[in-house]
Amino acid sequence: MPAPNLLNRYTRPMEGWWRRNPFYLWYMLREASCVFIIAYALVLLCGLYRLSQGEAAFNGWLAALATPRSIAFHGITAMMVLYHAWTWFKVMPKTLPFIHIGGKRMPDAAIVTSGLAAAVVLSALLFVLVWSGRS
Amino acid sequence: MTTTRIIEIECQRFNPQTDSEPHFQSYQVPFSEEMSVLQGLQYIKDHLDGSLTFRWSCRMAICGSCGSMVNGVPQLSCHTFLRDYFPDKVRIEPLNHFPVLRDLAIDQTDFLAKLESVKPYLIPDTEKTPAQGTYLQTPQQMDEYYQYSECINCLLCYAACPQYGLNKEFTGPAALALLHRYNADSRDAGSAERMEVINGENGVWGCTLVSYCSEVCPKGVDPARAINQNKINSTKDYFLRFLQPRGGK
Amino acid sequence: MQVIQADVVIVGGGGAGLRAAIAAAERDPSLRIALVSKVVPMRSHTVAAEGGAAGVVRGDDSLENHFDDTVSGGDWLCEQDVVDYFVAHCTDELVQLERWGCPWSRKEDGHINVRFFGGMKVQRTWFAADKSGFHILHTLFQTSLRLPSISRYDEFFCADLMVEDGKVRGVLAIEITTGEFFLFEAPAVVMATGGAGRIYRQNTNAGIVTGEGMGMAYRHGVALRDMEFMQWHPTALPGTGILITEGCRGEGGILVNKDGYRYLQDYGLGPLDPWPRPKAMELGPRDRLSQAFWHEQQKGRTIDTPKGQVVHLDLRHLGRKKILERLPLITEVAKTFMGVDPVVSPIPVCPAVHYTMGGIQTNVRCETSLSGLYAAGECSSVGIHGANRLGSNSLVEIIVFGRVAGDSAAQHARTVTASHGDSIRRQAEASAQHLLSLLGQETGERVATLRDAMRDSMESGVGIYRKQDAMQATCETLAELRTRYRGGVRLDDRNRAFNTEWLTAIELGYMLEVAEALAHSALQRRESRGAHFRLDGYEERDDERFLAHSIAHFRGDGPPLIDYAPVTITRSAPRTRTYGGAGKKAEMT
Repeated sequence: MPAPNLLNRYTRPMEGWWRRNPFYLWYMLREASCVFIIAYALVLLCGLYRLSQGEAAFNGWLAALATPRSIAFHGITAMMVLYHAWTWFKVMPKTLPFIHIGGKRMPDAAIVTSGLAAAVVLSALLFVLVWSGRS
Repeated sequence: MTTTRIIEIECQRFNPQTDSEPHFQSYQVPFSEEMSVLQGLQYIKDHLDGSLTFRWSCRMAICGSCGSMVNGVPQLSCHTFLRDYFPDKVRIEPLNHFPVLRDLAIDQTDFLAKLESVKPYLIPDTEKTPAQGTYLQTPQQMDEYYQYSECINCLLCYAACPQYGLNKEFTGPAALALLHRYNADSRDAGSAERMEVINGENGVWGCTLVSYCSEVCPKGVDPARAINQNKINSTKDYFLRFLQPRGGK
Repeated sequence: MQVIQADVVIVGGGGAGLRAAIAAAERDPSLRIALVSKVVPMRSHTVAAEGGAAGVVRGDDSLENHFDDTVSGGDWLCEQDVVDYFVAHCTDELVQLERWGCPWSRKEDGHINVRFFGGMKVQRTWFAADKSGFHILHTLFQTSLRLPSISRYDEFFCADLMVEDGKVRGVLAIEITTGEFFLFEAPAVVMATGGAGRIYRQNTNAGIVTGEGMGMAYRHGVALRDMEFMQWHPTALPGTGILITEGCRGEGGILVNKDGYRYLQDYGLGPLDPWPRPKAMELGPRDRLSQAFWHEQQKGRTIDTPKGQVVHLDLRHLGRKKILERLPLITEVAKTFMGVDPVVSPIPVCPAVHYTMGGIQTNVRCETSLSGLYAAGECSSVGIHGANRLGSNSLVEIIVFGRVAGDSAAQHARTVTASHGDSIRRQAEASAQHLLSLLGQETGERVATLRDAMRDSMESGVGIYRKQDAMQATCETLAELRTRYRGGVRLDDRNRAFNTEWLTAIELGYMLEVAEALAHSALQRRESRGAHFRLDGYEERDDERFLAHSIAHFRGDGPPLIDYAPVTITRSAPRTRTYGGAGKKAEMT
């Protein structure tokens, strides 16, 4: 019996790979969240452009923002931004060299927590500032 | 005595001499509390079907032979226990993203070539003889690279990495982690030689920080971290080239 | 059949094989070196060694100390000239590994740290946490990638040696992926195939430690020396046999029986205080500790668990920080495989087969009696372990003698003109046909049936303690199993590609012969020495009749012929082996 020279190899196709594991789904959601963030930036830019066209134009833009579809869009975008921010802090330790404090390596969880805490505090501060500046 | 229960183990089968597509085969395996998935496979091979093919050796998660997909998750089968799946069945497939040679055995040659490509050895400034004694290296200096030296090359991270699945040219998590292991070693002076691999199209920029590799690593190596450290290094290198166009180091 | 021409063929890609390949390549870069291994090198069993490697570095230590610990540990069955060479080269080789990047554990000032191991006067064990073998193997493997003259043949199962006119001419291997035969023609062959622990059931050894390398040399007329000396590691996990390193005791771990009593003090290893103390209590040698367990079991003072009788290895007093820093692998292993966290509970342990002291007989240059054939590492018997191996000596053995074997083989390859002949190809074809016939067997028993019968018989006849009748019975069982094996094993798998069942069947043929060499060597040694301990009227060491190596010769289908060869004694005359006793308290690093 001669040995087979050319053997089959089977490689599983990649189609639909991101549906195979919840981890990939969350990853795809993270990537997809960028689309919403871009859309939101475009909406803001649009507002800036309308402002340059005068008060009536800007008020038209503001009115457009108050429509149910726009509110839904902003609601979803806010959630996407929050999720994206969360993932951003979650991977933050991976982008940093080891940080040593008092000869001890700072654990990843501490980096993530302090990053998140800083974001929450700064956001709250900004919110209070903007809110109180609005008379 | 521990009670014996029966669990269903479903294995992906593929015979390169006769099959063009794999299929699944189920086995009923008696198991006790401490039996690993690997021991389940060994039971099948010894008593039910000697043709079931899989790699294994140390049984203690250090040799890196027995990686497979267990219910869709990359795992070392010696380090995964049947009790955690019972009463449901366990489905065992070969590691994702690799060509399958037979049943659960995958072709690792591509990985071995990649391992070699990152120059995974000390490239010292000047060669010394053993008579000159060892290098000095403090525990803190060791800490900079030690966790990356703990990679057992089990390939779970490649099976976890969709970027490797989509682009087989990508150097991939374990090899890049090992590259960083040597770059981060205070005894090494070979970073410049390894920069080509880092910068290349299939170097660190092939990674989109899915970071599932670090999640499945059984040894806590955190390859995603090693790779993303080097995105910073690669960026620095890029800008330094502008400042020192004549091949500055 | 594909034919590959090489100058040096190295069989086995573990620590010894890799070190040999590097040595041969460095000695002469023009040599074609073929590294043939049945697994990818980093899967080799060196990877599982935990504790460390001995090399004299401390000011209060000396080569003489290392020599004494080794020779007395080996119950004076060591080749003392070889031990001299060995201890003189350990540290250099360990430094060399460091220069290649091995991450040895360090002291705060950046120097290498060393720890205690059983049977040692002074701390001498270099360690890389408790993954020393892992780091040594990966360092060697990665370093070997620098050398272009080393061609690796990963997952090639070496199935036979090619021998002509009393000279080795190459090896026959099976490419596992395809099942194709490859003939490697070379004037020099280094066997670095590891031990034979898997001939037993309860085992710290990986599944690949099947001893066929020994079997191949043996079948071609090379003697196996001192095979009766099998080391039981006193601390393995019950059931799986997974190793719990001696490093645990080196760091200060203690062994207690079911009453929480440190029973070793009852077996000539005490007194208890002062503690810790070198070469006493838990830092005694492995043979004594495994034997003490057996006695405790007889007295009913071990702990009964579903997986068998155990004692407790207690590390708790070391504290969380030291346990996690020095013994991370053990912590993980104990948690995963036993559900025990060593920081809060003691680890249940029992003895398991660990190391094959005997093997292919070589001289200090790793030469065997067959011209062109060399052996290094656990598969060899170069003469440093005697009747009981000192912990930490095997990881240095693979690098010291791996290098020697590589050097010797390279030198030999340069002096011998390669002869290519049809006769070798015919020999390879014949051997291949024989191996292929295993695939076609229509009747016979399962491989697992014969293998399990062999293992049970070895456990019952040539275990920690041995008696004439039981040994005789094992010899008879093994002879019967060989007959049944020749009668045929029936494989479920008839394919060529990646047929691991076929390879297991080939291994089994060799294992049965190696097991037989072991059992007969044990039967005929009518004394107790080191790891060979009899309970049938031969409880004492008998230097008059048995201060000699046992030499097992292959005799075809019949039982082996056992004769004896003198031991080289240069300066240390046999004394009583003493451990324990009063002594100075040791300082733990």
